[in-house]
Amino acid sequence: MSDAVQKPSRTSSEGGDPLATLMRARQLVHEAQAAIEEAQKSVVQQRSVPGEIPGQDVRLVQAEQEREELAARLSEVEHQVGRLMTLYVATYQLHATLDPADVQSTIAEIAVNMLGAEQFALLLRDDEKDVLEIRLQEGAIDASWSKVVIYPGGDPLIDASLADGVLRFGPVEGSNVLVTVPLRVQDITVGALVITKLFDHKGKLDEEDRELLDLLGAHAASALFASRVYSRAARKLRTLEGLIKLVRKG
Amino acid sequence: MNVVKTRKVLVVEDSRLIHKMYEVMLRPCMLIAAHDGREGLARLDENPDVDVIILDINMPHMTGLQFLGQVKAKPEYEHIPVVIVSTEGKEEDVARGLQAGAVAYLKKPFQREDLLKIIGRFAPKQGPA
Repeated sequence: MSDAVQKPSRTSSEGGDPLATLMRARQLVHEAQAAIEEAQKSVVQQRSVPGEIPGQDVRLVQAEQEREELAARLSEVEHQVGRLMTLYVATYQLHATLDPADVQSTIAEIAVNMLGAEQFALLLRDDEKDVLEIRLQEGAIDASWSKVVIYPGGDPLIDASLADGVLRFGPVEGSNVLVTVPLRVQDITVGALVITKLFDHKGKLDEEDRELLDLLGAHAASALFASRVYSRAARKLRTLEGLIKLVRKG
Repeated sequence: MNVVKTRKVLVVEDSRLIHKMYEVMLRPCMLIAAHDGREGLARLDENPDVDVIILDINMPHMTGLQFLGQVKAKPEYEHIPVVIVSTEGKEEDVARGLQAGAVAYLKKPFQREDLLKIIGRFAPKQGPA
């Protein structure tokens, strides 16, 4: 049993199918619950035996300790399950649509509802114009770059992440940005999610948020890329269909 | 988790992401989805037997507090426990929500355990006393 309840932490870090991991974690929770019930029954049985049994007190204490240990592990596994669910839902929702606007709004929803971001911006590269557009902005960001449509550069944290594709935490000298998440597709940085303020009740970003930020860096970019390619293809298809109709009429 | 089994929950929330989150986290529950306060009232009229309402505050057309005011004004619905789950996390926001009749206030981002703990407090198939 102790082996079984230790598995989720290893599994969760292995990646793979998140739903399968989730299902496995749920199964482990049920197993842990069953073990706790067993331990509780054992304690009750020991208490109900009449008369003194040699070593009874020691066994009782051991059973209580085991129950407490299992309860703590169950709580930990439950927490891991919740964390995996959050990652699963974020991934699912990012890839649930092929509309670029919907993907952008999902990124915003993840930033607000899962990371607790109060002020943030989404920068995306426009390949045709070769510029970084500020496609989305939430809250009154206190930075010179937030007042324009095209990111002009100049924020050291954002510039560094865009240059090498590495997630960076601030603030640093010359930048009040809390975190810059580079959005990467096939090793190419196509944009960045820039968070400048969290909700007061959120406090700070922790290790679990880091996992979600990493997920965003990979999945948000590919979801955006796929949706943009699809919308371009759909637009071209409509144009071609219109032309064919015109030719047939003529 | 057994604590939330069989409950019928009305979710009034404008975020598709959070709807999906509840769908996954509250899997044993029967969820009824509404995307703003107005739709929430319509769904409530169709499902007056809901056990709990999970309510967001910032929504289009009708805010969560307006929805809550209307629910508490109707004798047939006033007994239904309403849990606010919102990014509005200041003390005055919490106080405003609880004064308006919510039984609990959960701040986003939230942990699954906290949500289950709150939902588990309300017995299924609650009716007027």
